[in-house]
Amino acid sequence: MDAVERENQDRQKRWAKEQKVGEGAYAVVYRGREFSTGRRVAIKKIKVGQFKDGLDMSAIREVKYLRELKHQNVIELLDVFSNKTNLNLVLEFLDSDLEMIIKDRSLVFLPADIKSWMAMTFRGLEFCHRNFILHRDLKPNNLLIASDGQLKIADFGLARDFADPGFKMTCQVITRWYRPPELLFGSRYYSSAVDIWSLGCIFAELMLRTPYLAGESDMDQLKTIFRALGTPTEQEWPGHTKLPDYVPVGQFPKTPLRDLFTAASADTLNLLSKCLLYEPRKRLSASEALQHPYFFAIPHPTHPSKLPKCTTQMAPRPLGEVDGNVDMVGSGPGVKAAAPNKGRLKRKITSPMDDPKTRSIARKLDFTKHVKSP
Amino acid sequence: MKRPLYEASTQYKNWRYSPERLSQIRTTMNEAAVGVIRKTFEAYEPGSSSNVSFVNAHEEHLLVTFYVHKISQLCGHFRFPEEVEATATSYLKRFYLKNTVMDWHPKNVMLTALFLATKTTNNPISLDAYASHIPNTVASDVLDLEFLVSQSLAFEFAVWHAHRALWGIWLDIQNLPDSLPDIAQTQKSIYDSALSHVRAARLTDAEFIYTPSQIALACISLVAPALAKKWLESKANITIPENQTDIPPRPSAAALSASIEAIESIITETGKVPNVEAVREVDRRLRTCKNPEKVVGTKAYLARKAEAEKKAEEKRNKKAEGQKTNGAGDVDPFGDPLAEPVKPGLVDYDDDDDDD
Repeated sequence: MDAVERENQDRQKRWAKEQKVGEGAYAVVYRGREFSTGRRVAIKKIKVGQFKDGLDMSAIREVKYLRELKHQNVIELLDVFSNKTNLNLVLEFLDSDLEMIIKDRSLVFLPADIKSWMAMTFRGLEFCHRNFILHRDLKPNNLLIASDGQLKIADFGLARDFADPGFKMTCQVITRWYRPPELLFGSRYYSSAVDIWSLGCIFAELMLRTPYLAGESDMDQLKTIFRALGTPTEQEWPGHTKLPDYVPVGQFPKTPLRDLFTAASADTLNLLSKCLLYEPRKRLSASEALQHPYFFAIPHPTHPSKLPKCTTQMAPRPLGEVDGNVDMVGSGPGVKAAAPNKGRLKRKITSPMDDPKTRSIARKLDFTKHVKSP
Repeated sequence: MKRPLYEASTQYKNWRYSPERLSQIRTTMNEAAVGVIRKTFEAYEPGSSSNVSFVNAHEEHLLVTFYVHKISQLCGHFRFPEEVEATATSYLKRFYLKNTVMDWHPKNVMLTALFLATKTTNNPISLDAYASHIPNTVASDVLDLEFLVSQSLAFEFAVWHAHRALWGIWLDIQNLPDSLPDIAQTQKSIYDSALSHVRAARLTDAEFIYTPSQIALACISLVAPALAKKWLESKANITIPENQTDIPPRPSAAALSASIEAIESIITETGKVPNVEAVREVDRRLRTCKNPEKVVGTKAYLARKAEAEKKAEEKRNKKAEGQKTNGAGDVDPFGDPLAEPVKPGLVDYDDDDDDD
């Protein structure tokens, strides 16, 4: 046997697969253990044999970036090995995700808890951006929670390196409710600011306990954003009317965030508003966010070990969530991958409108009451 | 202390060697491969290995270098971006630190390395389009080796390249206080020539020994030594604010210029496409000393395949048997006898529950 094959087999022998916890068309997730230490792990088995073009892009992206990134707030890829036509990723085992915690109605969040989750998320994201990596799919169910309360950014299946200025990227990224307006207007040149917008939406969702900007289609998403934050003016966001897919979606007045986030402190609303600035160049960066007074003000962030935890045992999750990129049912606002070859197997998603029955939104925010008649 | 980003990369951690270590790796691997292949020859036809002239480590390296050059030609044909070419090149070179050309011919590995690089650099192209542009190649030729290549790379797909560093330094040079405002236009030939040195450096071992930015600086230095020096000095003169204690220590100026000189001589001495006649000669001999287990149709190949099939068959039978005993017989109304706890060592990864 070749040295390389032997090495691969040795890697494989370090890990025990135990119980299947999720299954999709292209991947199966198992709970497992490291033999030598008993450490719990998750093993994601991707069935590469089904892909016409070999290893698929989202598996490649995930492996490429997670191999390089080691940070307390980024999920750790412990090992990779192949077996017949399967690719196996050994990931650290994480109990739950932020979406489950947000939806768990038995939990009460203190402002200090939200500050703690946001601090961990910004720290993980700052590390990604410092390494010139855009995540491009931040949402609560991609923020996983370890048993010690640490939050870890997961699912790098849509991630990419920063492009050089003038280098086109796809705008079909980021799950709709967390997608910034520049992408909805079809901008092909963008920056780390796209991830910051997503964090703004997550921040708001932690306070509201329901998705903040839940549009029902791409067009409706813009409307939803503008209803909540006011239609941007040329002065606020110079040049946005020249973006490729720009369409006027109506004039909505600006309402103060205070009207909706009634209990939030001034620091909180200041940080939130800077994450949700229309002009991407003015949106604050992850490292600026970490320096924001919000994180230094009383109350101090809750220690991760003391954060609210899910009361329910983690049910086997639909794989779309475990995997992020294998969403066969489309239970959320989907993202289309930058599929290089149309019509072939794609590990990607549908839009929520394809299957409205499976959507589960606890409550939809209604911004219409803020709209004054012209 | 804050570590430079580069030092956290898999490239820095796992793909850096001293020149001595590199040559040791290649020699050891070559000798081990010759040993194994000689044994295989003897096993099927005793005495048959005595006349075989095996290729040595130096000849292996020559052949691989030639195919690095081939990658460059292919990339020109496809008009792939520089990033794809540089990445595919690194993949091929890294592959042959773990494998021998007597097992896997670089003309095949090259195709897989390049296809993989299009994906890892986010420039994917469909396999059919790719294979159809390469003579005598079908899709499966490319895909069959994808796992082998990925495993050899330890699934470490990210590579940092000197051409990126060169672009960065070039932008930085334009910002030097006494740079002419139109230096990017008037002195563009400096950048272009430096880039051609970066490309030549891909034919060498420089990337295994030095950092991308050191290689880039050496390439500028080959073209415009004074400019390279000026840029370097501008970096040395930056005063570090007192409250910034987390800046890593800088290498001494002497150590840096020694590295730069060493890279310059690596590039000028070995940054060349190998002589085609010499390559042909190696390739001719390679035909006679290839690992017979990997040559379709030979006795050794068939024997190995039969062996593998036998093993798989045994496994299947074992599995079927296990299911039989589980399903049949009287059922104890109080359930099965309490089993010994399953030892983790018994988990069978081949026991796939999928349908491949």
